[in-house]
Amino acid sequence: MTSYALFLGCTIPARQPSYEVSARRALTKLGIELVDLANMTCCAPPPVQSLDLETGLSIAAYNICLAEEADLNIVTLCTGCFESLAMANAMLKENEKLKARVNQILSNAGKEFEGSKEVKHYLQVLLNDVGPNRLKENVSKNLSSLKVASFSGCHLLRPSALLKFDDPEKPYIFDDLIETLGAKSIWYRHKLKCCGGLLRGYADDVALALAREKIVNTTKAGADCIVTLCPFCFLTLDLGQVLMKSTFHEEYNMPVLHYSELLALALGIDPTELALQFHKIKVYSVLNKIG
Amino acid sequence: MNEVKVGVFLSDCGNQLSKILDFNALTNYVKDVSDVVLVKRNSEFWRGEGLRIIVDAVKGGKINRVVVAESLPKLSEVSIVQAVEEAGLNPYLVEVIDLKDHCAWPHRETPKEATEKAKAMLLAATERAKLLEPIEKLEFPALKSVLVIGGGIAGMQAAVDLADLGFEVDLVEKEPFLGGLAARAGRFFPTDDCAICIQSPASDVKTITHTSRKCVYRSGFTEIPNLNILANSKVVGVEGVPGNYKVTIEKKPRYVNELKCVRCDLCTPVCPVEVPDEYNAKLKTRKAIYMITPNVHPPVYVIDESVCKFRDCAKCVEVCPTDAIELDQKIERVTLNVGSIIVATGFQEFDSSVIKEYHYGDYPDVITNLELARMIDGFGPTGGTIIKPSDRKPAKKIVMVQCVGSRDRRWNPYCSSICCMISLKHASLIKTAYPDTDVTVCYIDIRTTGREHEYYYERAREMGVKFVKGRPSEISRDPETGRLIVDVEDELLKRFLELDADLVVLAPAMVPAEGTKELAEILGLELEEDGFFKEYNAKLRPTETKLRGMYLCGGATFPKDAPTTSLHAHSAAMKAAKFLITGKIVKDQRTAVVNEEYCGDCEFCPVTCPYGAISLEPTSEDHIVARISDLLCEGCGICVGTCPLNAIELRHSRPNQMLAQMKALMSINGTSKPLILTICCSECGHAAVDSSGMAMMQYPANVRVMKVPCTGILQVHQFLEAFKVGAQGVMVVGCKSDGCHYEVGSQQAEKKVALARMLLKEYGIEPERLEMFNMVYIEGDKFAEAAQTMTERLKKLGKLQLMEGS
Amino acid sequence: MKQGKEEKTTNQAFSDVITSRLGGETITLCYQCGTCASSCPVARITPRFNPREVIKLSLLGEKDEVLSGDAIWLCCSCYNCQERCPQKVEIADVIYALRNIAVKEGNIPNIYSEFAAELINEGRIVPISKFLEKKRPDLGLPSLKPVGVDALRKIFSITGFDKIKQEKAEAS
Ligand code: SF4
Ligand code: SF4
Ligand code: SF4
Repeated sequence: MTSYALFLGCTIPARQPSYEVSARRALTKLGIELVDLANMTCCAPPPVQSLDLETGLSIAAYNICLAEEADLNIVTLCTGCFESLAMANAMLKENEKLKARVNQILSNAGKEFEGSKEVKHYLQVLLNDVGPNRLKENVSKNLSSLKVASFSGCHLLRPSALLKFDDPEKPYIFDDLIETLGAKSIWYRHKLKCCGGLLRGYADDVALALAREKIVNTTKAGADCIVTLCPFCFLTLDLGQVLMKSTFHEEYNMPVLHYSELLALALGIDPTELALQFHKIKVYSVLNKIG
Repeated sequence: MNEVKVGVFLSDCGNQLSKILDFNALTNYVKDVSDVVLVKRNSEFWRGEGLRIIVDAVKGGKINRVVVAESLPKLSEVSIVQAVEEAGLNPYLVEVIDLKDHCAWPHRETPKEATEKAKAMLLAATERAKLLEPIEKLEFPALKSVLVIGGGIAGMQAAVDLADLGFEVDLVEKEPFLGGLAARAGRFFPTDDCAICIQSPASDVKTITHTSRKCVYRSGFTEIPNLNILANSKVVGVEGVPGNYKVTIEKKPRYVNELKCVRCDLCTPVCPVEVPDEYNAKLKTRKAIYMITPNVHPPVYVIDESVCKFRDCAKCVEVCPTDAIELDQKIERVTLNVGSIIVATGFQEFDSSVIKEYHYGDYPDVITNLELARMIDGFGPTGGTIIKPSDRKPAKKIVMVQCVGSRDRRWNPYCSSICCMISLKHASLIKTAYPDTDVTVCYIDIRTTGREHEYYYERAREMGVKFVKGRPSEISRDPETGRLIVDVEDELLKRFLELDADLVVLAPAMVPAEGTKELAEILGLELEEDGFFKEYNAKLRPTETKLRGMYLCGGATFPKDAPTTSLHAHSAAMKAAKFLITGKIVKDQRTAVVNEEYCGDCEFCPVTCPYGAISLEPTSEDHIVARISDLLCEGCGICVGTCPLNAIELRHSRPNQMLAQMKALMSINGTSKPLILTICCSECGHAAVDSSGMAMMQYPANVRVMKVPCTGILQVHQFLEAFKVGAQGVMVVGCKSDGCHYEVGSQQAEKKVALARMLLKEYGIEPERLEMFNMVYIEGDKFAEAAQTMTERLKKLGKLQLMEGS
Repeated sequence: MKQGKEEKTTNQAFSDVITSRLGGETITLCYQCGTCASSCPVARITPRFNPREVIKLSLLGEKDEVLSGDAIWLCCSCYNCQERCPQKVEIADVIYALRNIAVKEGNIPNIYSEFAAELINEGRIVPISKFLEKKRPDLGLPSLKPVGVDALRKIFSITGFDKIKQEKAEAS
């Protein structure tokens, strides 16, 4: 059994139990052990980096130190957490000067960043530890009539120089993993563009306009649902549709699913055990298409 | 050798110098220096009566060493040396120094001190002269034959020039047909005429006029008797030395006998193998046996061996009326003996598919300029119509994207310099033929810097070509309609455009031709960081390389348009001709020589020599020694500075000569300031000292200058020697690190100085007493300032305390 | 003439300030090609923000306009631009650097002050509701582990992050 330190982050436990439930259930079922470590904190995502990049890097490094102490690689569910931690990990491994500076800061908290561990998004675990073949073998439901508009979220792919996750302009890993489950991943315009999630709270109008583009483009392309990897994208697109209704009087009813939910469903886990009631846009239409 | 007799000749420059320097004191001083047998003063010594004085003294056998203090030493030295040689003395027994710019002028405010320094300078010159040895002139054979690599316009032009001049020329082209990139381009700016048009050879008597401009296939250049064309061939090995190279060429089989093929075209219809035609941007197919277009050279079919079924088919063999097809042909190796080599391998389009957001290679309707050129060409695969490759329907809306992989620090940081013009040319040609086609050019900057170039821009606007200032961020394709969408910000309108297009034409960067790296390795030539061949000096010697005998032209050094390529080709041809024309190479032996007894086969020097002049040769079973080629050695002395066993010396700058000079320069002070030895290279370093003197910038007379060929010759122990003979400080003045006349000499010297500073500490010598400066000619002020600063610094440090035993 | 000279020194100073900060190092490479703007999802939607213009203004030394304006806070950090910039300007990081400078000068949007306060107090930027925390066992989720907020505070005392709120108070 492969073990990872699970980095849960803030948004998932605070807002999206269905993400956590489906991810824990599906990954455990596929033989991945998730270890919850004490004393982890916020990953220092863009809002913190905006305040002070150096503080952001130090926080990320601090969390990686905890995993280094436990001798575990990190797995994240949230794309945002993945970016913050993986980026810091790469920067500090590459840049000795920066590493020295951050370690000087960390020493006050009794930590030292070594650079001995890796930070992975759970898609990488599915791809490399489980593997498409075993994944396919474990699929017990038929998703073949489902047309999925995938949206990985920006921070899974970019900045690619540091994250090295996938081809930033022609990504395929996520879409392949959707198709491995039997569903069809479709093209839609401006697929790689941001959902605007990070602008929520500062410029809600702009954020909503961006989310709306996504919903409009995926609807136009005839998607049955959007599948995301990030709680922030999820929130922006799911809750966003409620706001679109009140602001623009537009109703799309485009179901938004976490990939882990789609995975759990494909593996045959009972939908009633997945806390799907927390979705704002109901997902019955999707469940109906899963045979 | 017989007894040394030095004659010293002092020019007072028409009494200009005697206003500052006390010439009587100088003459009296020099007279008493040992071995000086003659001292003369005159207003000048490098021409007329003055020069005759020297010549007479030499001829009469009165003297056998000549020391001349003359202004303009660079100029005067030439005529003095020549005269001395004619008078029967070895010309390398002459030493010329400059009392004006190195002494009188910069110290005019302290005439007494200047006079004392002048004595030291004269003594140093005399001491050096005494130790000079006669140096031989050597002759090496130069074959009057040239190999030109690359059969594009650059190579063809250079080959024609040289053949016209009577040289034997071999022109090697790796493709089966001549023409290179140019042939595919169709038309050229700025004349809009055919790309395959070249200057006819002089041997074409009917056309020796100014209008002798012809298509390659009509020009008669292929019929010049002393021009041998080897298509389908490549260089696989080069041995030998400048003037006499042995080149191995590998000739791929053509499978069609060049002498028998009559171009009846009976073979292609029967050939069952059909493949996409690369030459025509895959817009059409060709057979395994083919010719790229009817008007090419050699006018002979070729079989593409990667797809031909050979004996399993042999249909063509059956139909060929002249039995020209020879399926058994094998690779041939040809050896050529040539005096010099011209590289004209050109450039090619960058592979745009790596810029993923543009989807070249994914979307068939995203094409490149060269592919568009094939469509515009009436001989091309579409007969001149512009189509969408995806469905072959006419393209009505075309978007052009500039700077694809050029000016892009992810790929090629440079501007490829010709793509704006190519796109403007294409836009205009399309608009002329199909005025209702919508053409939009997206650009960062439009660069039209040549004559007539701006007119292309003007004409395109007149014709209604649209221009959007902005670099597109993405090209996408609607999978349903198949139409392309180009996302771009029109920066001037501050508007985000989504341009709808049938066809998107990329203007890719131009990068070195395939195989450039391998060829560079074979030839021993260097490449620049951008991957193109490195020219010897970008400003002055753009078609020469570090290796005499090897020249570059055309796109091999950087992307170029046709006019510049032609100029370049003529220049390279001229350089090769100049090198070989007399049939011999004359070189003097002011070169390095290895003392084979000391040489410990450490293998340092062969890699350090910038000119590849040193080879390791076995003398016995277990001993190798370094040997230096007098032909290749440029006399920089960098190997001298590198050899850990002091086994190498330059014949004209021996260590004992340098030591004698140092001693002499430090033997007289005459000022109250600490003596400084300035060791400068004979290139930029010396020129900077010259220019500070010429401009009469003042620096103190305690600064004494010793010239070496290149600062790379210096060895660490020589700095210690300088301090031992009385220097309180040492300045090393060389070229800029990246502008060294001998490539790496300055850098080597910098390293030596850094090392010496560390070691000097061990001897109790403050490291600040030694410093390296990098200067160019126009930085005379910098030299004067450095001399001042150094003097002040040494004053503060106080007198040097040398430790016992150091 | 004199004025022109003065202007030049302030420009110099502002781009130097940016290039010497983490994230801002590459700003001077920009040659205004517009690839970033055309890649930017935000710029397409609102005229309030255009990354190319932010860079241009910064390079021209329009410090106040850049730091006190709202543009720099409208980047959604999606890095679309940074992937494609042909001059390898790290645009999104440059914008972080500009925000960091603005914060130092006391220009902090309210929501960001709230983030800072949450982080300093709770070690997280999104608070967890008691309701959900209680519901975890029912959903089959393990209880939450403690948060390392003390360690964070020790980090902040070195980087000065804990002073961010004070700076804001002083500035206003
Ligand atoms: S003197 Fe210069 S060119 Fe001659 S062998 Fe030595 S390093 Fe090479
Ligand atoms: S893409 Fe890069 S070079 Fe172009 S305008 Fe933006 S920052 Fe400047
Ligand atoms: S990172 Fe910011 S500036 Fe760059 S494209 Fe995304 S939102 Fe626009």
